Amino acid sequence: MKISTDRDTLLKPLQLVGGVVEKRQTLPILANVLINTGKDGMTLTATDMEVEMSTHAKVECDTEHDLTLPARKLLDICRSLPEHATIQINVEGDRAVLRSGKSRFTIGMLPAQDYPAIDPALSSERFTLTQKKLKHLIDKCHFAMAQQDVRYYLNGMLLEVGDGQVRTVATDGHRLALSETEVDDPNGIDLQVILPRKAVIELSRLLEESDNPVEIEISSNHIRFRMQETVFTSKLIDGKYPDYQRVIPTGSDKQVFSDREMLRQALQRTSILSNEKYRGIRFHFTSGLLQLLAHNPEQEEAEDQIEIDYDGEELIIGFNVGYLIEVLNVIDSEQVCMHLSDANNSCLITNKDDDSNRYVIMPMRL
Amino acid sequence: MHLDMDAFFAAVEQRDHPEYRGRPLVVGARPGGRGVVSTCSYEARRYGIRSAMPISEACRRCPDAIYLRPDMARYTEASRRVMAVLDEVSPLVEQVSVNEAYLDISGLERLFGSPARIGRLTKRKVFEAVGLTCSVGIGPNRLIAKLASDYRKPDGITLVAPDAVQAFLDPMPVANLRGVGPVTLGLLQRLGIRTVAQLRALPLELLQAHLGERGGSHLHAQARGRGSDRIEAAGQRQSVSKETTFGQDVSDIHVLKNCLRQLASDVGHTLRREGLRGRVATFKVRLPGFETHTRQRRLGEAVDSDVAIYKSAWALYEASGFIGRPVRLIGLGMSGWEEEAAVIEDLFTPREARDRERRLYGALDEMALKFGHRAVSLGVKKGRG
Repeated sequence: MKISTDRDTLLKPLQLVGGVVEKRQTLPILANVLINTGKDGMTLTATDMEVEMSTHAKVECDTEHDLTLPARKLLDICRSLPEHATIQINVEGDRAVLRSGKSRFTIGMLPAQDYPAIDPALSSERFTLTQKKLKHLIDKCHFAMAQQDVRYYLNGMLLEVGDGQVRTVATDGHRLALSETEVDDPNGIDLQVILPRKAVIELSRLLEESDNPVEIEISSNHIRFRMQETVFTSKLIDGKYPDYQRVIPTGSDKQVFSDREMLRQALQRTSILSNEKYRGIRFHFTSGLLQLLAHNPEQEEAEDQIEIDYDGEELIIGFNVGYLIEVLNVIDSEQVCMHLSDANNSCLITNKDDDSNRYVIMPMRL
Repeated sequence: MHLDMDAFFAAVEQRDHPEYRGRPLVVGARPGGRGVVSTCSYEARRYGIRSAMPISEACRRCPDAIYLRPDMARYTEASRRVMAVLDEVSPLVEQVSVNEAYLDISGLERLFGSPARIGRLTKRKVFEAVGLTCSVGIGPNRLIAKLASDYRKPDGITLVAPDAVQAFLDPMPVANLRGVGPVTLGLLQRLGIRTVAQLRALPLELLQAHLGERGGSHLHAQARGRGSDRIEAAGQRQSVSKETTFGQDVSDIHVLKNCLRQLASDVGHTLRREGLRGRVATFKVRLPGFETHTRQRRLGEAVDSDVAIYKSAWALYEASGFIGRPVRLIGLGMSGWEEEAAVIEDLFTPREARDRERRLYGALDEMALKFGHRAVSLGVKKGRG
């Protein structure tokens, strides 16, 4: 069996699937990438048993053949070869030999029939979104997912479809992010699934700002995303996502409008002297003015103030500045709106004139 | 100055039960089961029984001894009174366990007299307070003080002046030094080293070559009588943990769950009493064959409630992959303290629920104080155990 290709044709798909391979594996073969060659090129597949990424590379192959090669090593070799170098891979016995110019690498293989495949049940639901839309849904909220929370269902992102809308929600219990948009072909789907954290992060890496479609198939315990060259499959988290609607405040009587970038920069400056662990900052809202104050255990202090559009009563409230900065980083509009009621209740942050992205942050007692 | 209560648990029992006096007495695990000797009286030591010896071994050596299970409440009470006495002697007392403490007695001459006098005075005061004897060692640093208190036991007092340190150490077997366990001891024996004097003759480089950089320099310093002279009053605890060893290996998940709940409530109680909230949960399990595993996880927030401690330990157990295998020992703990000052409320746990929880645990802790520990504990809904 012989594969010949240009380095860059192989490198890109290899980088894509390589992200799925964990640094430490439970099975030795999970360190490998599965290669299925055929007349029109080869398919590269990697899995950690929870997610699986499969993509096509247009390389020249002489026969149909299945093999697995160590992903990390193959990737490092490709990366270190000069740009557009020609690569040849031959299978010789139980080894693969990779040649390029004067370089030669003999690499160990593991049998392809041992490679574990995620085998989803027949999908009952499917719908389509453009890559761009799906990317936005994910990028606007994935930062709020929990990490290693005992409430395991928070270590992922909720994907909800219903009423012609598709919505993503992420929360770690202290803050929540929600993003929604219209489905292109609603056909009466109504479902709620939780994607694991790793799947969300890989998807965000994979998706592009394009109008190409992504076909999404959902079965009882798997979700599959089909793109032109690439198929991404993930297990779903089996659990009940908390009632997020309940925690989005509705009765806030104070509305603060601010220039997003100005606020973000002021927060960034003030955060330097906040407590490194808790990152608490005191927000003091008065008519037309927001004063920010931070201290740390070394008794150092940062103060800042910016002009805002606000004419309600005075309010002092504490927030974890990291949570706010993360929200301001993903909002697109020039102006943001903070909806507040008092120092004990959560704050809702939205775009000035569009609430398709909503962010809720719990205050901090300072 | 180092003070060590003599055969503490056994001495408390002999004090409270005159009929036990003068007889070999062992406080520790139930004979016939597994577990070890916690403390034994000096009469029992004559039979070769030692602390930390398997209980079965002790039974073999002296079947006629009195075997008792520890009654921590009484020992803690006696310990508290001893520590109160020590606090009167020196403003700087570092309690290292229920029966041991270091006292900084430098600069107290004007108040109480010479170090030897302070030692005798402390022993007398301790005896007056609890009716128990202790051994006292006085030296220029912790190492010497500790070795000195061990030197004449029970009811001894040993003073090692700075210029007598070397003469005091030289004839000692190296096994007396800190950090010399069976492995190091075997190694030193192969080098032909038996006494501290012989150890002192070895160059630092040689010790480091055999025992590693830190181990080597540690022994090198000890052989010269050098040790820390810092005494820190009541250093904050690093962690709170509890564990249980089963008499017989347990695989029943309900028994394990209940056991973890009980341990969680013990740890939770201690945390709340000391005003600590932990962010790091630890789970420990020992399988047959002494195969011990621990798992740790950083929590989303610092907790002190029984339920939260139990849940995080259980989650670690579930994730460990050991569920279903027989268990010899199970335990859990909390560490990574955080102040409550900057707590962020949880979106999904309303403030009222938190306040309710706080009141609930307040009431539980109060009842535990009044009616004894474990008098009341949280229930589990039927069918959810």
